[in-house]
Amino acid sequence: MTVTDISQGKRFLAQGNVYLPHIAVIEKVIDETPGVRTFHFNFKDEKLRAEFTFESGQFGEYSVFGVGEAPFCISSSPTRRDHLEFAVQQVGRVTNALHRLGVGAEIGFRGPYGNSFPMNFLEEKNLIFVAGGIGLAPLRSLIWNVLDNRNKYKKIDIIYGARSPSDLCFKYDLDSWNKDKTVDMVTTVDKGDESWTGREGFVPQVLEQVAPPAQNAVAIVCGPPIMIRFTFPVLGKLGFTPEQMITTLEKRMKCGIGKCGRCNVGNLYVCRDGPVFTYAQIKKFISTEY
Amino acid sequence: MKDGNIEQKLQSEAKALLESGKVDYIIGFEAGSLKFTTTPLITNNIADIDRLVINPFIVNNLSVYLTEVKGRVGIVVKGCDSRSIVTLIQDKQVAREDVVILGVPCPGIIDLSKVERLVGKDRDELDDITRDGDRVVITVDGNETEFPTAEVLFDNCLGCEFPTPKEYDVLLDEFSPLVAGKAASQESLEKLKGMTPEQRWEFWKNEFSRCIRCYACRNICPACFCERCFVEESEPQWISPVPRWQDNLMFQIIRNIHVAGRCTDCGECERACPVNIPLRSLTKEMYDIVDDLFGFKAGMDKEAAPLLTAYALEEAEDFIR
Amino acid sequence: MASSNKKINKKDIGKLLNEWSQEFTVFVPSRETGTATMAKWDGKDTSFLDWYRNTVVSPKANILPPMEEMFHFQKDKEGYHIELPPLDGHKQLIFGIRPCDANALAILDMTFNDSYEDPYYLSKRNNTILIGLGCTNPYDSCFCTSLGSSPTDATNVDLMLTDIGDEFLIEAITDKGKELMANISLAEEATEADEAKAKEAREAAYNKVTRQLDIKNIDEKLLASFDNQDYWEKIAAKCISCGICTLLCPTCYCFDINDELLKGQGARFRSLDSCSFPVYTKMPMENPRLEKWRRVRNKVCHKYEFYPMNFDVIACTGCGRCIRLCPVNWDITQTLDIVPAKA
Repeated sequence: MTVTDISQGKRFLAQGNVYLPHIAVIEKVIDETPGVRTFHFNFKDEKLRAEFTFESGQFGEYSVFGVGEAPFCISSSPTRRDHLEFAVQQVGRVTNALHRLGVGAEIGFRGPYGNSFPMNFLEEKNLIFVAGGIGLAPLRSLIWNVLDNRNKYKKIDIIYGARSPSDLCFKYDLDSWNKDKTVDMVTTVDKGDESWTGREGFVPQVLEQVAPPAQNAVAIVCGPPIMIRFTFPVLGKLGFTPEQMITTLEKRMKCGIGKCGRCNVGNLYVCRDGPVFTYAQIKKFISTEY
Repeated sequence: MKDGNIEQKLQSEAKALLESGKVDYIIGFEAGSLKFTTTPLITNNIADIDRLVINPFIVNNLSVYLTEVKGRVGIVVKGCDSRSIVTLIQDKQVAREDVVILGVPCPGIIDLSKVERLVGKDRDELDDITRDGDRVVITVDGNETEFPTAEVLFDNCLGCEFPTPKEYDVLLDEFSPLVAGKAASQESLEKLKGMTPEQRWEFWKNEFSRCIRCYACRNICPACFCERCFVEESEPQWISPVPRWQDNLMFQIIRNIHVAGRCTDCGECERACPVNIPLRSLTKEMYDIVDDLFGFKAGMDKEAAPLLTAYALEEAEDFIR
Repeated sequence: MASSNKKINKKDIGKLLNEWSQEFTVFVPSRETGTATMAKWDGKDTSFLDWYRNTVVSPKANILPPMEEMFHFQKDKEGYHIELPPLDGHKQLIFGIRPCDANALAILDMTFNDSYEDPYYLSKRNNTILIGLGCTNPYDSCFCTSLGSSPTDATNVDLMLTDIGDEFLIEAITDKGKELMANISLAEEATEADEAKAKEAREAAYNKVTRQLDIKNIDEKLLASFDNQDYWEKIAAKCISCGICTLLCPTCYCFDINDELLKGQGARFRSLDSCSFPVYTKMPMENPRLEKWRRVRNKVCHKYEFYPMNFDVIACTGCGRCIRLCPVNWDITQTLDIVPAKA
């Protein structure tokens, strides 16, 4: 099966105008790294709060009114419905504005958009999660989703890396996955500091050392483009077919629904046809455009 | 010399430059895909050189490509274009030794929009336009009509002070006589100056209401060489990305200030504008102001300091020291 | 057999437009603003019948305007409140749309109907009547016949007018068109002689389009050449990365979304954007299309490769604006003529 099989055809939000954001309230702010924050939020409208559903891998368009809108994946798991989460690296106009917001601040949210990870396809498989930096955010939604239904899946490997120990996101998750006996977790940093006792090395290299077998396995990859570019060949060497490699891409986006144009990789729109793709789907265009 | 002879001379010079390895690329003009149109030819292939042309329709200021084309370049320029190269040298965007300047003394370039207005036909409906000195013959449906050349030249060509390149390595023809028509060149400017401030505001409001923010004026301008333009900055956002007329006007005003002392009045911004905004009325006014205030004309001397980015230690104003 | 078509004398066009003005906001070709656009009918001026070949700004602007408010918002002690501008869409009638531009709207419809309906576009589109006017004098930059169309193609208009001398032949294409035609007070039944004249006019117009583009297998050729950097760099060399070809293209729809704070409230706008601009794909850490040849490649491939992959139609109608208006005479037909057949 292909990942886009999940796409649900024509989808509408309740009130018809797909561009209108819902008002949401920030409930908690967590400092992940010096430049990355996680926001917990909930919809102001209680009906929507109860009815809202999404799947791991989907994203939303988040508004800071008066500043603008930006897309971020929903980083929490659909299995945990108390609130929604997204993680933001402070890099531009909207993300700077988001970082200025505290608990109680109102933001806009529209979504969920895009396809999602192919849950049925992943069942009964060995899963290898490969993530770098803030790229763990979308995989984190899937990892918790999988762990909350642990018996549906076989072996689980997580290989996560960041530039330095202080750039590791979601340390509370890393801790609990490390403790989880049903998960094989490897954390690495490009360069450690004095207190770092863990592994050093780039994610693709570490993946090659860990060498998970490709048999009945799926690798789910997300990280900076450079990491993704170097990870696919390693997986190939390990015997993974392009259909066994899944990634979720990030592009500049405005509309989030396949109209404004800019997020295309070849004929595919990351927002509409993705953000989740198999390597088989994008390999023709990704070599030069991502 | 006839255009054909200049062309031959240009082609042999360009061939020699490429063959000897003195340049990596030649930037010149070739026949365009539409009537009376030329198009930039940027090539490192000797076989392409036979396509180089010189005619009354070589509109582009090719120096805009100099900051982009890698390696040493032989480039075809008119008077105003050569001054643009000089400003690029002054601003350290181009090294003099990397450019071989093939100068064309310019008797003025034909403005097809003026031709269209004159004969009431679009350019693709005309059979022929030929120039012979100060007369131009336009053929429509087999009928020839003669006009004074000055009636069909671009405004900025009329009364051009420096039709012959100031800075060159090869001059492809003898010096060109000065082009008459200075008064006509200032006509639209004088009309604007005759308006009250309120009338002028209304005028520009109307003009900039149809700006589509294509940035052709900026991108075709050799003086606009910034890698990051203020219009694309988002933190802070200097002008809105939404193309309302106020922001369109603000964009143009700031651009005009940024190119003061660099603008050689080549007129490309106005020619490139797809919706006919008379941009030269802004840039020429600034050109004149720069001349009045500082006695400075852009691109006259490659050794001179750039007007607005250089300062002297004994500068009177505090803020600049 | 009598024709089901009608005809109207050219001198009655003003009256016809006034009739239609009772029900619609009527737009006609105009140069009033300083460039040729579709502008609101002033109730008298029909001089466009003499000069009009095509507009610089295509009628796309009537449906997908250069900028439009999406909503505005205000904050009070209870928080943010969002309010929509009226979206019912006034009923507009565009008189004189050229076949290429009408075909372009049909191409835009695919994107704005796809997956999620776009309420801003569709509210205007669904309230728009298109009165097509066949070309008699195409530009030398036009190449509609290469794309399976013609200067008198009536496929995507409601009513089609064809110049038959002193009169226009009127054909009703859609149900809305039939209704309109039935109510034109000044129209007469068209005769067989009128039909013959129209046929002649159509053939003459067709033959006047001289620019040719061979689109056979063009999408396959582009796919094969996608990684051919030498070709794309050569093609892109003279492009100055301005937005003329895209912003004025009748099938280009890319847009940007931005917030503005105005007096007492804020608003979100969308405005046309262009894949020619580096900032269009710029992300904080990197830009997948920073190099010019990648942007030119995207523009060409979007029209001739990606859109056919997604919607089974080339997103170009051969209107020729991109050729006509380009300040460096970058010519898409020349570009496509030399796509290598193999990588």
